[in-house]
Amino acid sequence: MTTRAAWAPASGMGWGTRVTLFVAILFLLCAWAIDLTPAALADLPSQMVTVLSFFYPADMAYGATRVWPALLESIQIAWMGTIIAAVLSLPLALLGARTLFPRIARLVKLISATARAFPEILLAIYFVPIVGLGAFAGALAIGISSVGMLTKLGSEVVESIDMGPVEAVQAAGGSRLLALRYAVIPQVLPEIIAHWLFRFELNIRASAVLGVVGAGGVGGVLLNTLRYRHFEKAAAVLLLTILVVLIIDMASGAIRRRLLR
Amino acid sequence: MSHLRDESEEHDTAAPRPLRPARNWALILGAAAAVILMTWWSARGIGFSLVELACNLPGGRRLLVESWPPDWGFFPRLLAPLLETLQIAVIGTVIGGLLAIPIAVLAARNLTPGVLVWFVDRNFMNVLRTLPDLFWAMLFAAAVGFGPIAGALALTVFTVAVISKLWSESLEAIDMAVPEAVRAAGGSWLAMLQFGAIPQALPHYVSYTLYAFELNVRASMILGLVGAGGIGMVLETQRSTFEYPRVTLIVLSVLVLVLIIEQISESIRRRLT
Repeated sequence: MTTRAAWAPASGMGWGTRVTLFVAILFLLCAWAIDLTPAALADLPSQMVTVLSFFYPADMAYGATRVWPALLESIQIAWMGTIIAAVLSLPLALLGARTLFPRIARLVKLISATARAFPEILLAIYFVPIVGLGAFAGALAIGISSVGMLTKLGSEVVESIDMGPVEAVQAAGGSRLLALRYAVIPQVLPEIIAHWLFRFELNIRASAVLGVVGAGGVGGVLLNTLRYRHFEKAAAVLLLTILVVLIIDMASGAIRRRLLR
Repeated sequence: MSHLRDESEEHDTAAPRPLRPARNWALILGAAAAVILMTWWSARGIGFSLVELACNLPGGRRLLVESWPPDWGFFPRLLAPLLETLQIAVIGTVIGGLLAIPIAVLAARNLTPGVLVWFVDRNFMNVLRTLPDLFWAMLFAAAVGFGPIAGALALTVFTVAVISKLWSESLEAIDMAVPEAVRAAGGSWLAMLQFGAIPQALPHYVSYTLYAFELNVRASMILGLVGAGGIGMVLETQRSTFEYPRVTLIVLSVLVLVLIIEQISESIRRRLT
């Protein structure tokens, strides 16, 4: 009880208690609305164990013949999407920097904020009928939805640079374009490439999911194996995905650390 | 030009001209070659072609024309699924937020009770983060059946992955003087956490939980694509029958809801930190 006294404020109900109570009531209402009863919750662990037992042993033959190509396709989608986004976002990042282009920056930031609001899977729903079922639609969706975030992060990097070199180039008679080339780009490139790599890590996960709406990659394979209750095959999908994503995360993380050092 | 250079060389004797930083050409060319090779391999693999894109654009315009204006009359039927979507997000955030506390504490290098626990927990976190939210949704839909409960469970796992990673980093950055003082005064490990460590990082915890809630609202919109409840299930049926005016309406209402939640959450988070 003494510990309680130390936690609680001197008198009345504190902020923390009020917020906790609010969240607890909200939670109970929501749980009641979707029929998440305590009995159902208590039943979950045993249910999960039963289902998990179906996943063993993983069907690695299926993994080699069907999952591996789909996984490679997911990587290709993520890479192309990142390349598209990198190419489009580099000029936008420069234009979106308040310190360089005060007049256009606001407009560019507005556009990038709108692009960020769309989850890639919603974009893919529109791209699939336009360019047909398959990986190309996925790469476009990933590319477009990454432009927003990369533009925002890139502009922030550009805004944080030392303006000395820019002024020096211009004082020496260099044009604005030369200032960008010799004073801005060399300062921002390492950090911007690090952001590209980070986005590539995120895009791997995003592209893995796109198969659900028919935009290529490993997501469609997982959906099908689970739909037909081929749990050993689904296990192969999960194992290979985890492995590949872990390896890419580690490689990309190592490169990013080197770039930013 | 020549006398200018002579002058600078004279200066060199007094103060040597700074060396131009050496470029590691082997590394730069190697990286460029790797990027080009990877791009070529990817572009070929997915059939990337600008010509095809240009040829297909007219068809795309037809789709866009067809999908506008949205079918506003459909809106009343979206209200219940939208509400369910928010409920899924709340449940996932609350349960996931609670489960993330011990996982983050054990993964913080300065607080963890043992190296082995730290190692196991940290790798557990990394594996959790590799799978995207929709994969969890598919798994739970297969395990507990289609519906909102599968979605709530998927978001629970996703929330744990997000909060535990971010918060364990804030916990590692706290001032260790207070926790050490609690230990020195004879406090237990739990007391050290409760009075020394967690209060310092509590604003971060609340901030990350709100951030996870934003992500969850966004994710819960699409969970239904794989049968895990919410507005996504309506989206999936309308999409598969190519009712694009209705798809547009759903996408618009999802965006508006996401933006509203983000604004509220961001204004709270700004005040916290």
